[in-house]
Amino acid sequence: MNNTNETTMKNEKKLNELLLSWENTYKKGQLTLWIFMALQEGEKYVDEIKDFITKKSKGTINCEEQSLYRALRKYEHINVLTHVLKEGNKGPNRKYYYLTNLGQELFNEFVDRNIKLFFSTEIKNILKLKEQ
Amino acid sequence: MKTITPYLLRFAVTITVLTIIFRYFLSYGIENQLKTIIVACSITYGLLMFISGFYFGRKDGEYLPIYDVGFRFHLTTYLIHNGISLLWIGLGFGAIHENIDTSIMIALYWGFFLLIHFIFFLWAKKNSINNLDKEDLFE
Repeated sequence: MNNTNETTMKNEKKLNELLLSWENTYKKGQLTLWIFMALQEGEKYVDEIKDFITKKSKGTINCEEQSLYRALRKYEHINVLTHVLKEGNKGPNRKYYYLTNLGQELFNEFVDRNIKLFFSTEIKNILKLKEQ
Repeated sequence: MKTITPYLLRFAVTITVLTIIFRYFLSYGIENQLKTIIVACSITYGLLMFISGFYFGRKDGEYLPIYDVGFRFHLTTYLIHNGISLLWIGLGFGAIHENIDTSIMIALYWGFFLLIHFIFFLWAKKNSINNLDKEDLFE
């Protein structure tokens, strides 16, 4: 009985380790998608983007401010998004980010090629996802 | 395209100050034939320049990872060091024994290595989009 419990615990531990390892790899490259999704609702400043990602990803996407700023600077540099300065409630003006036409086109193409396939019946059946 | 980043500017200001101080002590050492000062200020200058490049280069990469194999920092160092050296001697701040020809020769030899670095920069550019590494663009 004790041996069975030990084996179950070991398996659970291993499963968690494997899951974390896979998730760490899987989440690399996800931040861009989440930022772009946040900006589908319209222009947002950094805190709003961060809140959107934390809330909608249910906390599974780690969104540190430094990484977010760095990503936003890179995307501005390659002209997929830009910002407009607007007055904040208090303190200095806020940068409100929004997608450029190129950014929106990039997002649409990416979703068409990489995300929509998960919504085909065949893939949904493989993933054992029930219609809700 | 934004290639003159805040950290590159801070680096430029830092090395401008360092180079002016270095030129002052170097000319003083040469003028008074004080080998210790010449050697000490050269070593200190070299070390501080290296530390500045390392520090600001790292910060610059964290700010915006421009994929230029260090060319912007090298070009800035080249322009500031040689610009100040030529002006220093040209404007008569140099020691009596200092010759502007030596500074011109240094600029020419260094320019050759800068050119080689530029070729590497052009080669690295092939793997970039707007000067950012294609492989490290999206996260």
